[in-house]
Amino acid sequence: MLTTGDGSMETTVGVYFCHCGGIITEKIDPALVRTAVLEFPHVAYFTEISLMCSEEGLGDLVRDINERRPDRVVIAACTPREHEKTFKRALAGTAVNPFLLQVVNIREQVAWVVDDPAAATRKAVAGIRSAVARVVHNLPLQKIEVPTRDETLVIGAGPAGMQAALNLAQSGRSVVLVEKHPMIGGMPVRYESVAPNMECGPCMLEPMMDQVLHGDAHDRIELLTMAEVTGVKGFLGNFEVTIRQQPRFVSEVNCIGCSMCVDACPARTPHPYNCGMNDKPAMAMPFLGALPNLPYLDMDACVRATGEDCTACRDACPIPDTVLLDDAARTIERTVGSVIVATGAGLFDAGRVPQLGHGAVPGVLSSIEFERMSSPSGPTAGKIAAPGDTEPQRVAIVHCVGSLDKEHCDYCSAVCCQVAFKFNHLVRHRFPEASITHFHRELVFPGKEAGRLLLHGLHQEKNSFVRYGRLADVRVVDQPNEREVQLRDGAQWTSAGRYDLVLLCPAMVPGDDTAALSALLDVTTDRWGFFEELHTRMSPTQSKAAGIYFAGTCHGPGDIPHAVSEGMAATAAILSSIVPGRMMELEPIRAEVIAERCSGCKICLSVCPYRAISFDEANGVAAINAVICQGCGTCVAACPAGVITGAHFTSEQVYAELRGILA
Amino acid sequence: MSDATATPTFEPRIVGFLCNWCSYAGADKAGSAQTPYPPNVHVIRLMCSGRVEPEFILTAFREGADGVLVLACHPGDCHYKEGNYRAYARSQMVERLLTQFDIDARRYRFDFVSAGEGEKFVNVITEMVNTVRELGPVGRLDAVMAGAAEHKAGL
Ligand code: FES
Repeated sequence: MLTTGDGSMETTVGVYFCHCGGIITEKIDPALVRTAVLEFPHVAYFTEISLMCSEEGLGDLVRDINERRPDRVVIAACTPREHEKTFKRALAGTAVNPFLLQVVNIREQVAWVVDDPAAATRKAVAGIRSAVARVVHNLPLQKIEVPTRDETLVIGAGPAGMQAALNLAQSGRSVVLVEKHPMIGGMPVRYESVAPNMECGPCMLEPMMDQVLHGDAHDRIELLTMAEVTGVKGFLGNFEVTIRQQPRFVSEVNCIGCSMCVDACPARTPHPYNCGMNDKPAMAMPFLGALPNLPYLDMDACVRATGEDCTACRDACPIPDTVLLDDAARTIERTVGSVIVATGAGLFDAGRVPQLGHGAVPGVLSSIEFERMSSPSGPTAGKIAAPGDTEPQRVAIVHCVGSLDKEHCDYCSAVCCQVAFKFNHLVRHRFPEASITHFHRELVFPGKEAGRLLLHGLHQEKNSFVRYGRLADVRVVDQPNEREVQLRDGAQWTSAGRYDLVLLCPAMVPGDDTAALSALLDVTTDRWGFFEELHTRMSPTQSKAAGIYFAGTCHGPGDIPHAVSEGMAATAAILSSIVPGRMMELEPIRAEVIAERCSGCKICLSVCPYRAISFDEANGVAAINAVICQGCGTCVAACPAGVITGAHFTSEQVYAELRGILA
Repeated sequence: MSDATATPTFEPRIVGFLCNWCSYAGADKAGSAQTPYPPNVHVIRLMCSGRVEPEFILTAFREGADGVLVLACHPGDCHYKEGNYRAYARSQMVERLLTQFDIDARRYRFDFVSAGEGEKFVNVITEMVNTVRELGPVGRLDAVMAGAAEHKAGL
């Protein structure tokens, strides 16, 4: 501060002018700038530095500030996008708060773009005038430090989600693992075998599931089955999550998984995990060997839903207080620092291509139906049969149902060719004499292991391959006791053989919950409806929202190794961004409501892109969560009463800058 | 009020409100490419175009700006997701307001400039300067602010 003639205190501003090693001074004359700038109010001095961003230049800057002790600093140099941070860091070595700095861009926006040196000099002077006028209104601000939560919410307990949960738990972090089904393991746990090596799906996943349920780190994993996330609020480091868990009607603590309740249940309902191909009791295990080893009661299918007071399951249970017929849904709230979405994909509904006969022609099965049929835990206990319970001797496998198809999904679903050849293998194994015809478009078998599966299938004597052009030119016609595949050539449909079974390999599509979950999490989806990555190649597991990650097929087709790797990758990102005991530093450029003057109109709530503003009902005013606020200033501009301040971009500061320009 | 007659020597003063993430970067891009353009536009950097209050624009005219530019990220690209949509909506209103205050709406321009569009930035600036140069200096606009406060309540 300087004491002026009338005894009042005046804020002093030190102006620094960088020559940029001669690049700026080639166009702008510092001597002329100096003369003009020294005339401006508040300006105490004008110092030239030849290359301010160099170590020497920064040293000179700090030394000079410490000697002359200005209240505020203006630096005329290159774009603030390049070195404002550098200069702010340098100010840490002075008594000047880093926010009491204004940078004037006299390189990119003056020296390099104004032809006439006199005009360039004038423009630089106007820029400095404006910065000086503004900087006296700047306020000292401190970085906001917030504690971060190191718990993670993982949504989906398939291979990707389980791997992530395990890695996090093994590193000492707590995990809330939310799974909407009554069992864990995702899709592959329902497969008899997994391509390309034909391992049994449940056997392959068992060790991983066992680690989640009983491993050394399992006590740090809170597994919530039959549960869905219904609300998420917050930002990296602090998410408030609401979870709705449906009642299982069976105590997870007491149940020993003996299945006596299942045997006693009189109600029947189509089996949801066998695609409705058989019935199951209302009280049932999801399927044989499903983990956790607990039955669940489908109350919609229970005879109690019709008002009858059936207690057969409870009566049959040997352990007291285990079948809980008055169990109810519960709402669970958790606070976490990060979220991993691993909700998996769905399958293209083959019924959308009606001429393929799925659902209409007997013996036409989609891939998941055949997976279940071939599984010992499936509707036929693993028996592969054609309609009429006959042995299939002629099998057609149609690839690319919906994939690589402009009318449906224009991408390759990455795994279906392997699935098709896996089916070939399963059929061949049980029926060595069967003839198998593949109707395919491309044959895609990348990676070091899949090639063997391809070669194995290609060179079987009783296999044949028919390449088709468009799915619209393939149809399946119901014939007495058999189905005929026909191909269209021009207007003509011609027979491509008669079959006992026709297996369709549909595309992988976004999971059913993707749209709703993306809205809850406030993350984007891509043009196919999958979750959208920050960058598909460079940040493939990160969403566009800080602290939310994707793993597995929820953000695009992929195989199991891909899902497992992404579970690990997302974990690594979380472990390195949220470190226990380390505070998260936030830029202080945030909005704040002056509560005493807020009229409670709620306009700001509707414009905030981050849902950072809530309404304090008790006091009838809006309140901004500083952690969630990103400082865009949209609410500041929208507030009709002008009572939201945008730190470092207050109206006063903007007007000062404006007047400085137009003075 | 009507615009004064343009004189050949008239150099308009134009204020540009640019968002930090795309448009300011686009301006820097033009700089890195060393593409010359008229020096008449003075930039005020904001974090997002969503911060631009209609009052900023009216004040700029009142304080003597001959033209005002608001440049934002392209739709879908706003660093803060949707600030540019708000800015665009307000911008429509500003145009109507200006006409009411008898300011030629061509003195105001809202546009999208991405971080890579140095060339577009140069074109926008050049066009704007030419347009405003032709329109001549803006008159003094004391009526503007009186109306501004009233209209703000409607946003
Ligand atoms: S950040 Fe560019 S318009 Fe919002």
